[in-house]
Amino acid sequence: MSADSNPAASPSPCQDIQGDGRWMTLHNRFVSDSKGKEPDVLFVGDSLVQLLHEFEVWRKLFSPLHALNFGVSGDATQHVLWRLINGELDYISPKVVVVWVGTNNHGNTPEQICGGIMAIVSVIHQKLPHAHTLVLGLLPRGKSPNPLRERNASVNALVQAEVASLSHVSFLDVDPGFIHSDGSILHQDMYDYLHLTQQAYQKVCQPLYERIKSLLDKQAP
Amino acid sequence: MSAEENPAAEPAPVIDVQGDGRWMSQHNRFVQECKDAEPDVLFVGDSMVQLMQQHEVWRELFSPLHALNFGVSGDTTCNVLWRLQNGELDNIRPKVVVLWVGTNNHEHTADQVAGGILAIAQLLLSRLPKAKIIVLGLLPRGEFPNPLREKNAAVNNLLRASLPRLGPVQFIDVGGNFVHSDGTISSRDMFDFLHLSAGAYRTMSTTLHELLLQLLEETPQERRASLV
Repeated sequence: MSADSNPAASPSPCQDIQGDGRWMTLHNRFVSDSKGKEPDVLFVGDSLVQLLHEFEVWRKLFSPLHALNFGVSGDATQHVLWRLINGELDYISPKVVVVWVGTNNHGNTPEQICGGIMAIVSVIHQKLPHAHTLVLGLLPRGKSPNPLRERNASVNALVQAEVASLSHVSFLDVDPGFIHSDGSILHQDMYDYLHLTQQAYQKVCQPLYERIKSLLDKQAP
Repeated sequence: MSAEENPAAEPAPVIDVQGDGRWMSQHNRFVQECKDAEPDVLFVGDSMVQLMQQHEVWRELFSPLHALNFGVSGDTTCNVLWRLQNGELDNIRPKVVVLWVGTNNHEHTADQVAGGILAIAQLLLSRLPKAKIIVLGLLPRGEFPNPLREKNAAVNNLLRASLPRLGPVQFIDVGGNFVHSDGTISSRDMFDFLHLSAGAYRTMSTTLHELLLQLLEETPQERRASLV
């Protein structure tokens, strides 16, 4: 699927329809922040990445790894793609890039969303040929079974298959089992059935931390 | 401005366009909480309210006051009005209600937004005649000066003038210190130039908490030996 026929793989900035220019402000800040820093790990994605930075778990697990956080709430794959092409990777050389995006790609098929994620993987590889990209699986969402859970699960299966043959990319399913036997997700884990509570972030982040650490250890100093 | 003339005062649920029904799930959970809980304080509004509960400060300062949090990210005055009219005030008798909403009313003018907030305050007073209402002012937003800051400030000015006339309603502006002398807002206070960081929540919560203690003390009830 070419970028032209896949909107999820066609880099686009977010238009400022609200009037305070926050999306572009955040992008510009990420670019300028990156000029002074030498992160070993870069996290990029949507609100699940952005909000992670606001909780204690970031300070405890990821700050010590010299991690930067380029998450923007609401971003879909095409927005992250645009940001990475337009400066956010230009001044840094992280060893590991964690990509977590796709749940906001409303109206796109799983194939399109996978295509968007793979386009991101490709840009990262072009700009940072020595980095390892870790793609995180999309989490289930909604209180009860619904089409978006199926969509996200399909995306995960497609991405997992695509990266299997690539040595510089891996896929990690970070769902610790949020769906209970009755099909429900608890608000103690996702307070709005999409975003994670601190307790849920703990469950997601411990295995993520382990994986990142082992990737860092494998990389040449 | 009557409800017929003010779209911001027309109750409206959020329609599920994404496909996972999250808004209604949250509303239904809040309605259920009204059946199970006996809150002394009710917080209602948008993400500014909802996110507060995700930080330590909620557990430390507001849970001990028997507070419930009915915040929903993205809500406008219309959505909050609908929720309150459709079960989120049933079976509870909070002594104080904290209302924080309006920054997401992108389709409406400052006058309309203020009118929507007033309509919610009026609804609260009519359903909870013994309650006191605290309305929090809309915060400035965006890294640099922009029209939404002006709009939110205009809403606040209108509220400051008109809320006290309704009865036991107070307007509190917690946004005073966020804009620096160069006109910028720091990402240390608002990580995305809209939502508050844990530190900023802590700062504004101190003021709010003190006010809540005062209002709860004033209520003629049995002595609250377990307060804080």
